[in-house]
Amino acid sequence: MSNIAGKTFAMNVITPIKGVNFYINKVIFWFANTKLASSRLGGLATLSLIHYARWVLIGKDQFPHLHPDQPKEDLHYNYMLFHSNFNGSWDQYVDSFHKAIPKGLDLLWRKNVKYPGSVPLQPFHAYINFNQIWTSHYYSAYPSAAVNDVKSAKKVKTALVALTDKVETLSDQAFKEAYDEMLIDLQHDVSVMEDTPVVSLASQAVKDRRAKYQETISMNSDKVIPIQRTANK
Amino acid sequence: MSNVASKAYGLTILSPIREKIAQGVSGSVLTRSVIEDLKLHQHSPFAKVANTYLARLYVLNDVMFQGYPEQEDHLKSKYLVFASNFYGDLDEYLTGLWHGAQADVKQIWAHCYDFESVTDEASFLIYMKKCQLETTFFFNGSVGLGEDDISLNEQLKALYLKQEFAKFVWNNQSLSPNELKAAFIEFSHITQPNQPEPSWAPGHSDIAQG
Repeated sequence: MSNIAGKTFAMNVITPIKGVNFYINKVIFWFANTKLASSRLGGLATLSLIHYARWVLIGKDQFPHLHPDQPKEDLHYNYMLFHSNFNGSWDQYVDSFHKAIPKGLDLLWRKNVKYPGSVPLQPFHAYINFNQIWTSHYYSAYPSAAVNDVKSAKKVKTALVALTDKVETLSDQAFKEAYDEMLIDLQHDVSVMEDTPVVSLASQAVKDRRAKYQETISMNSDKVIPIQRTANK
Repeated sequence: MSNVASKAYGLTILSPIREKIAQGVSGSVLTRSVIEDLKLHQHSPFAKVANTYLARLYVLNDVMFQGYPEQEDHLKSKYLVFASNFYGDLDEYLTGLWHGAQADVKQIWAHCYDFESVTDEASFLIYMKKCQLETTFFFNGSVGLGEDDISLNEQLKALYLKQEFAKFVWNNQSLSPNELKAAFIEFSHITQPNQPEPSWAPGHSDIAQG
């Protein structure tokens, strides 16, 4: 049983919503999909922690009923199911949400029963923790990659393809200049990825990782040569 | 449609579990046991399903009582929850799930109501769509501004190149221009940036757990 696949954490939360608020919240979620909502939810993108996150409103009559033998649900409340895939620890994630989009969170969890609001932090922590369900099986196609790795990899690939396409046509010196220029552009994107899990569980994994790379990559700073950008021609 | 954000599809499946299998045998306990025993990373059944970015399984036992004076709710069935984020079309994905991981699918869903009606690809798609819940709001953080998701194979190739190039940069510092060019040409021949292979396998992990 694990909420973790490499660098990515799975969160599942189910919360009740009372009465007509369920339908009002549907309208709010429709609004959340529009550009008008960017002021309240634009902070989601800046978090750079989240691969994908989804909110699913489930009416009390909408739990799948597939067989006459299956008892029909008889619920007082409608429900909202939340699934997230994110990087970092649970605390970092919940804290980041609370910090980056407090009004957005209040919009997304509006009128959920006993929702305390996103501020202050501790009641919000307790609410999410109480309504959370543990994942039994979690799969990531790229456990070594965080969201920023996924985004930066595309940039690295594009640059490498472009340089590969012209390498044979360049003189040695022209290639060196093009290579250095590319590295400067990719300085935030070139990094070795590992499967280090969330910070709170990472100590052994960090130790293993350092031992593994000790032979192949020296961490001595005097081996790093700064790249000089050449003058524009 | 809220199930889709950029080119990623967010699939949420709730399959009710038949609780009384036999005397003293609980369907939800058996189901949970199966999904907890599934192999991880590149050995996961979802590694065999094309274009699966992230997927999870768990059993929804019940909803939570929020405390007085709120009313107490209880689900009459437990539900197997399958949530997946993948690239592309739903029918194509479910077909890939059926053909790529059929033995695992049959074992995972074995104790769910009406799964006995699933006998082939077509009936599997019908069953899954009966269990599907529509996403209300889908946030895609995996793409930059103005970008779209790319297929998993393209993504894995990009990650492979990022990883290998980072090592190349570290190991090829302070070379002369002709040495660097020669090393880069060799790097390109090995990593083939323009080609789909070599690449990372889906679920690839250096700390693989089988």
